[in-house]
Amino acid sequence: MTLYHVAASVEEALRVLEEYGGEARIIAGGTDVMVDMRKGKIAPRCLVDITRIAELRQIAVEGEVVQVGAAVTFAEIHRHPFIARRVHVLAEAARSVGALPIQTAATWAGNIVQAMPAADGAIAAVALQAEARVADRAGAEWKPVEALFAGRGVSAVDSRRQMITHIRFRVPPVRWGSAWSRAGRRESLVLPTLNCGVSVRLGDDGRIEDVAIALGPVAPRPYRARDAEAVLRGRLPDADAFAEAGCVISGDCNPRTSPARATREYRLALIPEMVVRTLEAATERARHLTEEAVPSNI
Amino acid sequence: MGTAISFTLNGRPVTVQTEPTRTLLEVLRSEFGLTGTKQGCDLEGECGACTVLLDGVPVRSCLTPMGKVAGRDVLTVEGLGDPDHLHPLQRAFAETGAVQCGYCTPGMLMAAAGLLTRNPNPTRAEIVEALEGNLCRCTGYVRIVAAVDLAAAWMRGDAPSGVAAPQTRPVGGDLLRVDIAERVTGRTRYVEDMPMPGALHVRVVRSPHPHARVVAIDAGRAMQVPGVLRVLTAADIPGQNSIEGYSKDETVLAPVGGTVKMVGDAVALVIAETPEAAEEGRRAVRVSYEPLPALLDVDEALAPDAVEIHAGGNVLSTFSVAHGDVDEALAASDAVLDVTYRTSYLEHATIEREAALGYIDEEGRITIVSGTHEPHWHRDFVAPVLGLEPSQVRVIMPPTGGSFGKRQDPWLAAATALAVYHMRRPVRVAYTRRESFDASPKRHPYTSRYTVGATADGRVTGLRLHITANTGAYDSGGYWIPNYAVVAGGGPYRWRGVDAFAQSVYTNGPKSGQMRGYGTPQSNFALECTLDELIQRLGDDPVEFRLRNAIRQDEATWLGYPVAESLGYREVLEAIRPHYRALEAAARAFNEGEGPWRRGVGLAGMWYRFGKYGIPRVAAEAELGLDGRFVVYCSAPDYGQGITTVIVQLAAETLGVSRDAIRLVNADTATTLDSGVPGASRATYWVGGAVSRAVAALREVVAEAASEMLDCPPSAVVLADDRALVQGDRSRFVRLGDVAAEMERLGQSRKVRGVFDLSAQFPNHEREVYTPHFVTGAQVAEVLVNVATGQARVTRMVAAHDVGRAINPRDARGQIEGAIVMGLGAALMEEYVPGVTTGFSNYYIPTAKAMPEIDVILVEVPSYQGPLGAKGLGEAPILPTAPAIVNAISRAIGARIHEIPATPERILAARGGGLR
Repeated sequence: MTLYHVAASVEEALRVLEEYGGEARIIAGGTDVMVDMRKGKIAPRCLVDITRIAELRQIAVEGEVVQVGAAVTFAEIHRHPFIARRVHVLAEAARSVGALPIQTAATWAGNIVQAMPAADGAIAAVALQAEARVADRAGAEWKPVEALFAGRGVSAVDSRRQMITHIRFRVPPVRWGSAWSRAGRRESLVLPTLNCGVSVRLGDDGRIEDVAIALGPVAPRPYRARDAEAVLRGRLPDADAFAEAGCVISGDCNPRTSPARATREYRLALIPEMVVRTLEAATERARHLTEEAVPSNI
Repeated sequence: MGTAISFTLNGRPVTVQTEPTRTLLEVLRSEFGLTGTKQGCDLEGECGACTVLLDGVPVRSCLTPMGKVAGRDVLTVEGLGDPDHLHPLQRAFAETGAVQCGYCTPGMLMAAAGLLTRNPNPTRAEIVEALEGNLCRCTGYVRIVAAVDLAAAWMRGDAPSGVAAPQTRPVGGDLLRVDIAERVTGRTRYVEDMPMPGALHVRVVRSPHPHARVVAIDAGRAMQVPGVLRVLTAADIPGQNSIEGYSKDETVLAPVGGTVKMVGDAVALVIAETPEAAEEGRRAVRVSYEPLPALLDVDEALAPDAVEIHAGGNVLSTFSVAHGDVDEALAASDAVLDVTYRTSYLEHATIEREAALGYIDEEGRITIVSGTHEPHWHRDFVAPVLGLEPSQVRVIMPPTGGSFGKRQDPWLAAATALAVYHMRRPVRVAYTRRESFDASPKRHPYTSRYTVGATADGRVTGLRLHITANTGAYDSGGYWIPNYAVVAGGGPYRWRGVDAFAQSVYTNGPKSGQMRGYGTPQSNFALECTLDELIQRLGDDPVEFRLRNAIRQDEATWLGYPVAESLGYREVLEAIRPHYRALEAAARAFNEGEGPWRRGVGLAGMWYRFGKYGIPRVAAEAELGLDGRFVVYCSAPDYGQGITTVIVQLAAETLGVSRDAIRLVNADTATTLDSGVPGASRATYWVGGAVSRAVAALREVVAEAASEMLDCPPSAVVLADDRALVQGDRSRFVRLGDVAAEMERLGQSRKVRGVFDLSAQFPNHEREVYTPHFVTGAQVAEVLVNVATGQARVTRMVAAHDVGRAINPRDARGQIEGAIVMGLGAALMEEYVPGVTTGFSNYYIPTAKAMPEIDVILVEVPSYQGPLGAKGLGEAPILPTAPAIVNAISRAIGARIHEIPATPERILAARGGGLR
């Protein structure tokens, strides 16, 4: 029988993981863990539930920094007033995970640790250049989320002894915007054919000062389109620049054919289109700091 | 074993001893008997039927471990309200017609309850968002969303919530379904919900190969699994190893030395004390296979040197029609088109999986409780497998969570009966969702080549048609597919020459079988798309072209004989014309704007031959009970379409009493007559016809008996709910219970039979011309297509269908809405790919978010012979949907789509741009 331990603190959760010597697993929403256990992918002796640890249940906005606890669900994220109003890439990605009764349980941290190449939360985290606080018995360290993907479905966070406690990212107060696009065989309750998150910061001169473009599933891990970003940095955010960036991405990433979703060819055809559109939407928000949600699902 | 976990369940503190990783769903159902919460997928969160509220928040109970539930508050559908105290949501679901089979209903209600707790005034978009994770296959979501909206208004006090005024007329008036309070409160017991102490559990060993010889079956290790009692193979079948009455070449279990012909073919049954032991035993059975070449598409199967999947060749059946001179007709055309259309394997995807309960009844009969379209047929198919007489087998139709043809397949009943036969104990069989996808019949994929012609003034000339249907591994009730394909494939049009041929071809793909419309949606899709191409080529108008070419009521069809029921096609087209015009004009205006989104409007029509299946002579019985209530006996299985309500309405209307005075005994071989299968949308017309006659005869008998007691002529007797009165003098009456007692005393029969018999018109030996009854309809689709990505969205559907007479107009609309959304799935997203598709995670049925605006126009051209003028409706509305949508997309993008589903990828490719 698998035991179930409801941890009261991060320290306690980590201690229990240690006690089981690698045979315990963290459970947050359980939407992945329960399925993995049923399919026999994992067979932990103990599940350590972190969803009642008060400090992990918070979304904190301090200055430019937003910090999200590991037990915060996607529904709590997309209903959070600041995130809903200002962080479109995250709010919309959170709304894309399965459907609402999944979002009420599933967590952003869990989605990142699952390390799937098109995980909506992971793609949004990469687009936000987010960092995760990875804790173990030796201490805790903030690491770029992007550095946590070791391969398809393999996380650099060793979930037998480590856990993400928080995720944080910066939301500059002006000339910054983000956007999210997603294509699928239907509009809900479906894995994406392609998803894309963008955040962009403009300089005083209107040129692109910083940009992050994330795409999935086009590589074994959530993909950061650095070549395209390099094309854009320092440029004026115009149609030519975006089109050029879109082409660079096509040449640089390597989507596969998934028989029930889409072919590689279709994904390659869609990438420039989606990247350009997502860049446009993010830039539009950066320019105007508009607070109206712009529909982004294609 | 386990941990004590305490929580609040429907307002009461409870404690349960259980493993903390067990799911809340399993614990609710097995420890608390709260079977209102349903399982539709393999505990993977894919369907939403198990949604409950955890601390007021909707969650998947199949993904919620009990460890999480400790100390928290759980609300299930049973706690939302009970039949005497319905929650406003439950009442709104009942009153708007949001419930068809009812299997998704509890999950929907709880998802909606979660929404209204948080947001008492939701927008339509917010309602859709709250429900989009809950799959429904029957309703098309239209009424569910409307019900949530209505309940929210009631709860806010924005809408009067008084109980609706009692309706005086049973037909067309009182629309509530007969068992609705049970359905919306989770009280209805479907097969898996029925308690059966001591029942054994059966799991099926299935082939992983598409084609292989079974060399040996070793059950030794399986028998060592604790709890496993028996492993049955073909050698244990006491009668014939075949369900040939239904599927002429299909074994119950593949024998050693024989072959498996598809992935999912059954080889052995493992019977155990628990589901877990049965599953472990299933895994432990060792079957040695010798793989054989697998033919997965029809071209391979038709190759001259192809392996014969069944002895005698790979063509199961053919059908052809020749009419006039097609060559001359085509030669005399100003425009000729030669095009090929393709469709995919489709899965019914009912939210209830296949499940059966078997036991030996009090009279010693092997009894099967399982979804079926005709219990008598299943009885007759099962008995020979057991080597028994049909009278030794009993089949009972339980409340069933959807069918769409799927539950006509008798394999499950045969396997269940075999297990009961050997074990002499109750047994349960329940498929996993994966198993349901692997082993259940599919819709036949078609390749349809059309050569059609028309004159410059827009008159159709010749039709050359060649259809190849992939019937997969078995007949599976698909023998008549070519006939249906051809008949639907020419439509209600005035062809001068026709040369039509269709064949059903074996492959090692999944067996294709019955699915809503049975072989007609695929050819109607091809026909109506081909016509639209022709219309564009001619620069003609889609409505006027069809009107110009539609046959008149008294004209002989291109099939060589006249129709025998009112046709209604012209009326349907006239009804849809203004809607087509308005939407078409709006689309033109929209497309003058810039941007990647283009709007398109498409039209498609259809005729559907209803009732051509089974005998043209149907019987039913009606009785005056000793309690003074009327009892109707018939076989009209209700898998969600609402036929039980229709039957009760017809009976009440005919007797002149209220619905409450009628009790229906339905679909049990021990108590009801064989009313023929309600496939082919037969039930309302045929069974309803028999019931109307039985009830009318009963009325005569009762009036006669009452007239003696009242001392008046029988013609002066009027029936009310519990009494017979003398017309014009309400003080002179006798109670119906007293009439029954008097009849009993006199030895008069209180049970009479009614027969609806058209066999003189349609002699059985002339199969091809038998029951030429057609319903017609037309639909307009409005779509938005993104020409940069290929994404398409159906924004509006207008549907006009001739129903003859709507017995229950709200449910008739519900059938049409549900068919449209199912057809939308086929048009845009659904595709079963053998070897790839495993379940709801990769078979995409429409969610609430895909639901378009739907306007339904009920056209009532009374039938000549049906009860109160009714016709068959259930299947027909799916026929025009896919072609209307595909015509709309093709017009939006300026290029033709020739294959469904019209995925974004195919749309982009058709446009010739984008793909690199």
